[in-house]
Amino acid sequence: MFDYYLRLALRRCRQNVPMVLLVVLTMAVGIAACMTAMTIFRALSGAPLPGVSPYLYVATMDGREAVDKDNPDYQRPDSLLMLADAKALVDAHRAAQQVAVAQSLASLGNADGKRSEQAYGLMAYGPALQVFGVPLRYGRPWTEAEQSANAPVVVIDTHVAQKLFGIDNAVGRSVTLGQRSFRVIGVFAPWSPRMQIFNLGQRAGNVMGQDENFFVPAQASLDAGVGPFTSGECGKGAPVVSFQSASVAQCRWIEAWVRLDTPAQVGDYGRFLAGYAHVQHDAGRFVYPPQARLYGTQAWMTLNRVVPDDVHLNLMLAGGFLLLCLVNVAGLLAARFLRRQGDVAIRRALGASRRDVFLQHLVETGLLGLIGGVLALPLTWLGLWIVRMQPVSYADAARFSPGVFAILFALSVAVGLLVGVLPAWRMCRQPPALQIKLA
Amino acid sequence: MRHIVKPLFRHRMMPLLVVLQVALACAIACNALFLLQQKLVPIVAPDGVGHPDRLIVAWNIASRGAPWPTSRLAQVVAELRAIPGVTSASMAGSWPMETIAQMNGDVVSDGSRVSGDAAVYIGSHLVDTLGLKLVAGRDFSATEEAVAYKNIGINENGSTIITRALADRLFPDGDALGRVVRIGKDADSARRTVVGVVAHLMRNKFGQDDREDIDYSMLFPGIPSNWPMPVFAVRARSAAEVSGALKTMKATLKRELGADMIQGIDPAYEMYGNLRERALAQSKAAVWLLSGVSLIVLLVTVVGVMGLTSYWVQQRTRQIGIRRALGARRASILHDVLLENLLVVGTGMVLGMVMAYAINLWLMRHYELPRLPWIYLPYGATLMLLLGQLAVLGPALRAAAVPPVVATRSV
Repeated sequence: MFDYYLRLALRRCRQNVPMVLLVVLTMAVGIAACMTAMTIFRALSGAPLPGVSPYLYVATMDGREAVDKDNPDYQRPDSLLMLADAKALVDAHRAAQQVAVAQSLASLGNADGKRSEQAYGLMAYGPALQVFGVPLRYGRPWTEAEQSANAPVVVIDTHVAQKLFGIDNAVGRSVTLGQRSFRVIGVFAPWSPRMQIFNLGQRAGNVMGQDENFFVPAQASLDAGVGPFTSGECGKGAPVVSFQSASVAQCRWIEAWVRLDTPAQVGDYGRFLAGYAHVQHDAGRFVYPPQARLYGTQAWMTLNRVVPDDVHLNLMLAGGFLLLCLVNVAGLLAARFLRRQGDVAIRRALGASRRDVFLQHLVETGLLGLIGGVLALPLTWLGLWIVRMQPVSYADAARFSPGVFAILFALSVAVGLLVGVLPAWRMCRQPPALQIKLA
Repeated sequence: MRHIVKPLFRHRMMPLLVVLQVALACAIACNALFLLQQKLVPIVAPDGVGHPDRLIVAWNIASRGAPWPTSRLAQVVAELRAIPGVTSASMAGSWPMETIAQMNGDVVSDGSRVSGDAAVYIGSHLVDTLGLKLVAGRDFSATEEAVAYKNIGINENGSTIITRALADRLFPDGDALGRVVRIGKDADSARRTVVGVVAHLMRNKFGQDDREDIDYSMLFPGIPSNWPMPVFAVRARSAAEVSGALKTMKATLKRELGADMIQGIDPAYEMYGNLRERALAQSKAAVWLLSGVSLIVLLVTVVGVMGLTSYWVQQRTRQIGIRRALGARRASILHDVLLENLLVVGTGMVLGMVMAYAINLWLMRHYELPRLPWIYLPYGATLMLLLGQLAVLGPALRAAAVPPVVATRSV
């Protein structure tokens, strides 16, 4: 029966080509607009570190040690801590896992100084690779003993290994970082969070995640004269940021990230954090009420507006547009179907049930929806290409993926059926006798 | 009138679909056009900078560790000014169209307590280098330019040059010259005396906030101290001398500051015109996108209304024939179809306006968007009604052309 309805639908499509074209094109444009916006939205939503970041929390507090005349109020939660506070939080071991990290941009060189590479990496206090789920390929992460001894060890990715040594497995080689030579103890596969998550206060409009090429123990790096990329906020009321300085003793520049698996742990850790901050405030170190708080990765990104408003607005716009196209097509289809009341009347009089008539028309609109979906495919491609050409920070997110294809297919069939329900229902409601008389 | 309204209620589906379509189109188009207008503001507003093809800007320069001392920066600026073919050179903390470093402050006029959010550009010889047009007062004096700030300078007293728009905002009663602007609302906030007013100078903060203040800017003289990201700029005497000046400028900055710059990030040199193009490219792209969407929305609606009405008219061919046979004139049939469309589209439009406002209110709550101005309503309404009439004109003419003899057929 389905087969017969399909052939009937195809025959009817051929009868009034301009009308069919209009219907199909309207659907295609609506679907393509929606798919383009949805692709970008999907790429920019979800966990920045799949499987890991849903359990990661960042600690925020007002850890200023001096009265700040320019900014007496703590206007927004601040994740930058002094190294001493970060160390205290990590060493307390109150969470499942904990680490303090800061972004670094430094030059890595090989032993003879002939090859060097500017690379972004993370300075860390604690087991950074384990906390963030960085895929280690060779060697091992640093141990607590190495960290407390300020041993000059570094973990690099295969990109840097290739650049400096021409091989992937660079374990055991020496890398020059600042004024010291560091021993490579591990090599990991190229790794980046999907979106920006570190030091969001100073991300300068970037949206997509930064490739992190190396991990180095924070204190060893400072000892070698390599500081964080931005030194954050340095005391004495000066809001000035300085870059790549290793004299950060007076600065708040490092973030503490903790892994907490259950809501109970989150509650406990939140209380621990608040308690720690209050002790510092009461002792006179923190001059302002600390307002310590934990933020989940997603909440932290939302608060710092990592994903631009435009992405949300465009998705809403596209959704509204698709809705308009649906109403439009529903109207056109209703007009198209109702013109054929005579045919239906005869079929009804010959014994077709309402259900048959309803299904027949639904098959037809489903087919039209599918054709619309096929046409929407190149249009979506075009839309994503146009977005990639734009000077927007999330242009890289506009890529076609199999998941998008599946959504597009489902959406087009759903659209076809949805717009068909009203006209098809209208058709099968007509009493046969009246229709024959009119015909 | 009754013979038009009554059938609409008897066959509800067709008019309902038209109402729904018009309402949706109205809601989408109003909000899209409003967003478009927001994006258009920085593109059409004058930035006040003269001869953008002669102004070279060097940015993305940051000191590694402690910021450069002002004496060092002043010396670099002096060297830049000595380059042949250069008429003026500046060092500033932030720059128009360069958004990485921004200085903004809530400024208050002393006495009247009127305030405004303004961009502050602190730097040396900015009026000359930017090519700003003074409309009142004077440029900073040599003594004012030689000021030594303890810090960046934003919280220190002195003199200032402000834009005419900001002057009008802070001193609505007239002359701003000699008046005092306070940087911040606190009792001990810095006081700046207005010595000059420039025609325009765009701020370098582009957001989806209230765009009335796009031209609210202030200039402070002198070189900001303790600032790690200086911007250097030189103005060439003529476009022909730009390439030579650029080459020397690059060499000078590299020689003087290169060793202390942060590693891994190269300084950027750009003509101001290109800087402006790049800063506005995103807004321009959004303008194209939004105008395209609005156009397609309206097009889809017109086609949809046309399709529905032509069916609606065709359906009633016999009734029209009967009316014609009973003496109705072509004009009155035409008139009736148009009026019917006016009613249906009008209903949809009213609904759409309510929806547009509801959406706008929701967006205002969740995003940094201002309120949809009332002025959109009459324009939107007129546009929608006109489009509706346009869409129905074809079917209406066809209806009017129905000959009375149709009434006698196929009964």
